[in-house]
Amino acid sequence: MSSPKEMTRAVIVGHKSILKETIDALHDSNLFHIEDFVEDESGFKIDKPFENAADVSKKLVKIRSISSFLGVDKKEPVIQKSDAVLQDLDSKLDELDRSISAKTAAIAKLETDLKDLESQKKDLLPFMSINLDFDYYRGYKNLKVFAGSIKSNLDESQLSSLTQTYELFYDPQAKTIALFVTNTEADKVYEFLQGLGFRELRVPNRGGVPSELLKVIEEKEIEINGKIESLKAEIDSMNTKYADFILASDEILSIESQKAEMPLRIATSANTFIIDGWAPSESYDSLVNTLNDATGGRAYISKLEIKEEEKEKVPVEYNNSKTVVPMQEIMDLYSRPKYTELDPSAIIFITLPLMYGLILGDMGYALILGSLALLIKKAIKAEAAQRLANILLYCQISTAIFGLIYGEFLGFPLAGFHGEPGLIPGWETRTLFSGLGGEEVTFPIHRSHMIMTMIAATVIVGLFHLALGFILGFININKQHGFKHALLEKGSWLIIEVSAIVAIIGYLIQNSIITNIGLIALVIGVLMLTKGEGIQGPIELPALMGNALSYARIIAVGLSSIYIAGTVNDIAFNMMWEDHSQIGLVAIAAILVFLLGHGLNSLLSIIAPGLHALRLQYVEFFGKFYEGGGKKYNPFGYIRKYTEE
Amino acid sequence: MVGEELIAGPVLDAAGMKALSAALAITVTGLASAWAEKEIGTAAIGAMAENEGLFGKGLILTVIPETIVIFGLVVALLINQ
Repeated sequence: MSSPKEMTRAVIVGHKSILKETIDALHDSNLFHIEDFVEDESGFKIDKPFENAADVSKKLVKIRSISSFLGVDKKEPVIQKSDAVLQDLDSKLDELDRSISAKTAAIAKLETDLKDLESQKKDLLPFMSINLDFDYYRGYKNLKVFAGSIKSNLDESQLSSLTQTYELFYDPQAKTIALFVTNTEADKVYEFLQGLGFRELRVPNRGGVPSELLKVIEEKEIEINGKIESLKAEIDSMNTKYADFILASDEILSIESQKAEMPLRIATSANTFIIDGWAPSESYDSLVNTLNDATGGRAYISKLEIKEEEKEKVPVEYNNSKTVVPMQEIMDLYSRPKYTELDPSAIIFITLPLMYGLILGDMGYALILGSLALLIKKAIKAEAAQRLANILLYCQISTAIFGLIYGEFLGFPLAGFHGEPGLIPGWETRTLFSGLGGEEVTFPIHRSHMIMTMIAATVIVGLFHLALGFILGFININKQHGFKHALLEKGSWLIIEVSAIVAIIGYLIQNSIITNIGLIALVIGVLMLTKGEGIQGPIELPALMGNALSYARIIAVGLSSIYIAGTVNDIAFNMMWEDHSQIGLVAIAAILVFLLGHGLNSLLSIIAPGLHALRLQYVEFFGKFYEGGGKKYNPFGYIRKYTEE
Repeated sequence: MVGEELIAGPVLDAAGMKALSAALAITVTGLASAWAEKEIGTAAIGAMAENEGLFGKGLILTVIPETIVIFGLVVALLINQ
């Protein structure tokens, strides 16, 4: 259990002549969280960005558009000297820009050519089967040419009854015709053709036989496609060649741009500047030293006392050991703790895997999902993935432990039970004592045979979890508003919870003294609560019972996982042993059912227990003490990956 | 007469009634949870479209009605005791 890192409020004041040095030093130290200055009546103004800002952002935009065009991915960093990159940044950027524009322009031109050829081809196609040189369609004095398509079938005898002097080329499949008649009979024939639904086609303006023209066009198309492919390959090769440069210069330019735009965030007068912000108390001295070194002691930095009402806006940085760090993801998903409250990361580091393990509790799934977590850890280096994989791993360790306690492996019992042998020979279930509703509490715990006892047990786990929540709430309020408030607001709940349990125990063992003590304490608790939270407090009393019963989901979700696993096992093994004559094929199907079934259940085993365990933290547990809403500590600086000074 | 044997004896014996009640407890609470979660889930997705940071809060609000079906399950198990 820990609080967020202690912060110190600091103000840096200096003459504008050292603004650049100050900003450089702050950026390099990556420690100072800057409070953005909002212009008010004080007479201070925000400053203009540095002169190079426009230039830097122009280059940054260029490099990012190139990067997205080339599809440069983040990859294993090759660290480069930032001076070296900066030196030939301009020339390289220009070169890159020029060659990419040239190549894209060339590709665009080739693509237009391709479209052009495509439309020429379209014009040719109707004339393919007639295959007459296009020069024959024109240039006659006494002949009229009808070239086009018709809708209904052409009967040549009808045509010959109209005229004797004609030459017909007809493709009955495509219904294209080329009909040559004398001018004198043209009108008559045209009328006849109109009756057939004649539509004139444009005869291409060039000479040549369609089939040969088509061959030429297709050859050209292949050639152009080849050129486009090679240009695209060249662009791809630029990706591999320039990726390091692009990533490094993106980083350098981002840093430059952050620095150049910094004056927009601070208060300045004609000759001075004021930078207001926060630094972790532990690093305050080193920040002062860095600043003094950079400016020769000319920047004046001083601590300010944090006023009570300012505590709300103190930026929050977690302060956890390395093992607990992954849990911060879970915290951020809900809400970052406020500066004034406890950071429960270390507690959910224990309770989240505990609840998950209580729900899943199966050695087999722990092995499968544990290996999956290790695999993700190895394969994906991104920080977020690493953290999630770690959380999954923590959960699986707990699942393996409870798998041993429950004696389960992929839904099979590990220990023998009621004469049925278990997976581990010689491990027999032992009855320890009798539980609720005539059930027997055994080791290992066979959950599906002692449901009532498990419901009671999980609710008891819940009561402990809730009590822990009330205790944390007590500590929080004690820190923020003092002991009296803490006792009335949170202590009262704790008293109510404990006294209710005492009263119930007294009732169960039929000891009226214990029952009465419990009831009296309960009344006192309710009175304290009413004083602490007003009438709202007692109204929320039934929610406590709801919260406690909500923990019954631990056994409920767990049982559903067991039943799915058990059903898969039953189906697979029944198939295996049903028909011995066809053992080959059925056995393969049975193995498939087994693998697919358990694969599906493994996936469900991340989602269902994960969500329910998470919900028990977020709703039941956090509801008792946690507020959240802290501001993220985001220091002015940059974590370099691809470059170094 | 058709159905005479049903009238003569009870349609369901005690065990059948118990099983049916348990089924009802699960079914009705399941439907209730689903209905409530549907309403909240839709709103949560809408809120998330505006601000992705609301995922955590949305998730919590969405799963709150799940308690209804858990109670249903507990009741069903109690009926079968």
